[in-house]
Amino acid sequence: MEEEKDDRFFQIMSNRIVDNTVREFGELMISSLTEDHDTYTAKLNDFSVQIVHYGWSISFVLKALTNFTEIIYEKMDDVENLDEGNFQSYREILNNWIIPLNHSIVDAYSVVWEKTVSLQKIALQELSASLIPVFEKISVMPLVGTIDTERAKLIMENLLQGVVKHRAEVVLLDITGVPVVDTMVAHHIIQAADAVRLVGAKCMLVGIRPEIAQTIVTLGINLNDFTTTSTLQKGVEQALALTNRAIVEVEA
Amino acid sequence: MMTRIPILKLRDCLIVSIQWELDDQTALSFQEDLLDKLHTTSARGVVLDLTPIDFIDSFIAKVLGDVISMSGLMGAKVVITGIQPAVAITLIELGIRLENVVTALDLENGLEKLERELED
Amino acid sequence: MNLRSSVDIITEWDIVAARQLGRNEAKDVGFGTVDQARITTAISELARNIYLYAGKGKIEIRQITDGNLKGLLVIASDKGPGIADVRKVMEDGYTTSGGLGAGLPGVKRLMDDFKIETVLGEGTTISASKLLR
Repeated sequence: MEEEKDDRFFQIMSNRIVDNTVREFGELMISSLTEDHDTYTAKLNDFSVQIVHYGWSISFVLKALTNFTEIIYEKMDDVENLDEGNFQSYREILNNWIIPLNHSIVDAYSVVWEKTVSLQKIALQELSASLIPVFEKISVMPLVGTIDTERAKLIMENLLQGVVKHRAEVVLLDITGVPVVDTMVAHHIIQAADAVRLVGAKCMLVGIRPEIAQTIVTLGINLNDFTTTSTLQKGVEQALALTNRAIVEVEA
Repeated sequence: MMTRIPILKLRDCLIVSIQWELDDQTALSFQEDLLDKLHTTSARGVVLDLTPIDFIDSFIAKVLGDVISMSGLMGAKVVITGIQPAVAITLIELGIRLENVVTALDLENGLEKLERELED
Repeated sequence: MNLRSSVDIITEWDIVAARQLGRNEAKDVGFGTVDQARITTAISELARNIYLYAGKGKIEIRQITDGNLKGLLVIASDKGPGIADVRKVMEDGYTTSGGLGAGLPGVKRLMDDFKIETVLGEGTTISASKLLR
């Protein structure tokens, strides 16, 4: 059974992983026949976790399962000489074994997959920046990573609640860590800045890299109502000036 | 059911604190009262505190926007203070930007800002 | 679970009643302050539309579930004149009442899901829902 499963789908994977997986699948198949339901389910779950971990696509796994079924048919033909008379009853027995197996592997696979996705989503949400007070009346929010609509909403809430909580008069939105600023992201940033103005503070956009400046102008995004600077440092200096302060060197 | 919003005078400023949810009639009569008060006291500035307000719909936003423009025509500057984060987000999502409105975090900041604006 | 409650919109005061009901229901479902404000504002816009354009109608608020997500469904229905050009009322800044023209497109942005059914001369039903994420 083990060597028969091998085919061209496995070419891209290392032999060791393939061998192990094939062996485990074989054991799993035997377990489904010989052991009780709970033990089998536990093994099945472990197996699918591993498959997801390898990053195998669901269509690949389905193809492998189909191939496995075909091979079983061939083997049965070798051993039992299938003909029209007994084919129907063999097919029924085989289907009763294979179909629930297929379903449960796919189910287990998708459960693990959904869990992975939702964990990644939480991880991404945790990236959503919080507002850091750096001076009296001045706070900074560093943004890191791609901004989608859901994250933009979260950022806006954190931003506004932080402004009110820290009584910030100027807040610097640092987009150094945002890889792409398209019209959608710009729209969210403009909305956030507008909302900051409504609660009574001023929003500055800092950390504008040359390529971001290029895309903003090329896309025709209007950020004229904004104070923008290339670095956080320049932004902080301007924010201090806005609140009638400055950093001075003192003699030692 | 009619309630009137109290309008206080402090030196040459009027101070208004809206303490409860505005219904349409109260909002409209507030508009009238404020303009009357501006006329009789010749105050030069108004601070409008919205801290306790937990939502503003397009109608109330329009009344507020109108009041600011009308006060401007009568020569008075208006500063709005204490807009809550939730209110700001809803207004922006509704598409109401309240451009040209001067805002401040709270009453104290609002009075400072107003004094600065009046000096200019 | 399909709890529902409704407010008939006949006078201006019913707009206040509808949004108070909405705020309480939103709190009950467990929405945060920002979503509460979104829902309350959306209800206020829908109720005011009924009052201004249809004269009278009804705001119904239901607690809903979608999969394992809880949420709120707002249905605004009236037997008013209907809307002649739905596409037009969904444009930002379009108004026939001298308002800010933020009404329906604004409601759509505040909520997750927005449906509008209207028949000229028979009335309009708008359903808008938001899920708690």
